[in-house]
Amino acid sequence: MTEINQDTVIKTTDITKIYRIGNIKVSALRGINLEITRGEFVAIMGPSGSGKSTLMNIIGCLDTPTSGQYFLNNIDISKLNDNELAGIRNKEVGFVFQTFNLLSRTNIYGNVELPMIYSKDRVANKKRRILDAIESVGLSDWIKHRPSELSGGEKQRVAIARALVNGPSIILADEPTGNLDSRTGEEIMLIFQKLNNEGKTIILVTHELDIAKHTHKIIYLRDGIIHGQEEVKKQLSAEEILREMPRLEDRLVENI
Amino acid sequence: MKRLLENIRIAFQALFLNKLRSFLTMLGIIIGVGAVVAMLSIGAGAQQSVIQSVQGIGSNLIIITPGNSGEENNLGARFMLAGQQVKLKADDLQAIERGATLITKAAPVVFNSSIILYSNSSTQSSIYASSEKGLELYNMDIEKGKFYSKSDVSNASNVAVIGQTVINKLFGKIDPIGKIIKIDGKNFKVIGTLETRGTDTFGNDQDDFVSIPVTTAQNKLYGLDSYNMILAQSTSEEVIGEASEEIESILRRHRGIRFGESEDFSVRNQTQILDVISTITNIFTVVIAGIASISLLVGGIGIMNIMLVSVTERTREIGIRKAIGAKNRDILIQFLVESIVLSITGGILGILFAILISVLLSNYTVLDTSITTLPIIIALSFSTVVGLFFGIYPAMRAARLNPIDALRYE
Repeated sequence: MTEINQDTVIKTTDITKIYRIGNIKVSALRGINLEITRGEFVAIMGPSGSGKSTLMNIIGCLDTPTSGQYFLNNIDISKLNDNELAGIRNKEVGFVFQTFNLLSRTNIYGNVELPMIYSKDRVANKKRRILDAIESVGLSDWIKHRPSELSGGEKQRVAIARALVNGPSIILADEPTGNLDSRTGEEIMLIFQKLNNEGKTIILVTHELDIAKHTHKIIYLRDGIIHGQEEVKKQLSAEEILREMPRLEDRLVENI
Repeated sequence: MKRLLENIRIAFQALFLNKLRSFLTMLGIIIGVGAVVAMLSIGAGAQQSVIQSVQGIGSNLIIITPGNSGEENNLGARFMLAGQQVKLKADDLQAIERGATLITKAAPVVFNSSIILYSNSSTQSSIYASSEKGLELYNMDIEKGKFYSKSDVSNASNVAVIGQTVINKLFGKIDPIGKIIKIDGKNFKVIGTLETRGTDTFGNDQDDFVSIPVTTAQNKLYGLDSYNMILAQSTSEEVIGEASEEIESILRRHRGIRFGESEDFSVRNQTQILDVISTITNIFTVVIAGIASISLLVGGIGIMNIMLVSVTERTREIGIRKAIGAKNRDILIQFLVESIVLSITGGILGILFAILISVLLSNYTVLDTSITTLPIIIALSFSTVVGLFFGIYPAMRAARLNPIDALRYE
């Protein structure tokens, strides 16, 4: 048994993932050893085909490794069945996707409530927690609106509120700024940085170095193995960048 | 419970989003349930009114007719009977009246059809000839005047009691009591009129007849020495079977039928007739309802079809829900609830549709309908089962989706 530090949220030992496509075996991951401690803000980078989606699926408990062990919050995930994985996802993981993935027919409140609907635990002050989560991303005035009435950045903020509502161990963001313009993307990064300052563990999957530099640590993935990792020496502050970045409408006004 | 309500809310939301599609899908169930319930209510109504009209003839009646209905299908026996000219005569009636202990009264019946004349009006009507006991046996009531008496019967008097339709056709507003009418050219004095009895289940006018003493009909009009049938009334409903058997044995003895030979007459009672009618209408109802339930099946297939489409359309939603922590069972229940909501809503609309149809039918046609709770309960549970049965496969497909693939689905 591997010795696990109390502060360790994620620990993987020699994780591999082999896909079978017909008779061909494709190794997407070839032995990943990773440890992420509580409160860290980590970026996983890598070109397409590097296995970062596969790794993200495993870290997010959407998939299980072919071999190796994965501990999330001291729970061995590797051997769980579909329903147990669903329970872990519900409790321990908050997802933020590139394409937002909100329920289009449900209003903002309903979307943020969704993880609680599938939660086994009886939570007190359910409504309060939902409203708090929505308030933390600054959308309190929009709770009755549908996602289609929101801008891309606002949608992503709803997704973050949804990820927060069950108080997960990790927030897993897969290219969260990929569908947003740079200013809106920076605003999303600002929220992540604030959440991290409040102690949330955030794992960010991205292929943009500028985005990755907002985190503490960058893990480079290539051909299914960790190619290297480095501490970010000069962390970018979304707050500062936003201050210097003129608003789009301001620029338009200047040009007239 | 909370989650079930949530699922029902989601289901209605999904159904309202595609109103036309949901309605068209439900139409199969609406028509199916509507047809089944309407058919069952028509069947129940028909049965009730047939039973009422059989009971309306009189109560606890035993009907004795010449010839054996059991052998009518046997060609040889039929020729034999035709050759023998089997008849029921006055001595048979006397034998029954003397011997039977379980009957209150018995009366002969001769029926025919004759031309009836009064001044310039004429009509063709039924003639029911009986004895003075016929009034009660036939459940008739005198409106004005009186029924013919025992002495009228023994004297073969030319007296007549007439029904309302005959009065309307011949007399109009004139009081018919004491007037002389001609039946097949013979003069008869009208001594009484009968209360109206309306039409029976088959739409026959039950007031279009004239009743005269049986002896008069036999001797003066039709030249008969026999009766068409003999009616008897048992002392109570419970003993009607025994009374029938008693009459049967009296007549066997009286007519000299040896042991082992079959009767040349038949004895039937109202209970048997009602049983036969119930059996026939039940078979009719079940067959029609069975045919109607095929459309319920087709409706169910429609539900399955649309649920499969719905699952495909909402693959991404399923992916989101699963990523966020929905278990396979949660997705299964969500889609199952949706198909059941679809079919139960259809079922309820179908029942309303059936109620509308049967109200219209009983108000605007001769058909009587009777909506009972049983077919409604059956139809509702049937449509629930249809929703469950045809919803389970699409729901299982939804539940089994891999969340990674489902999230990537465009």
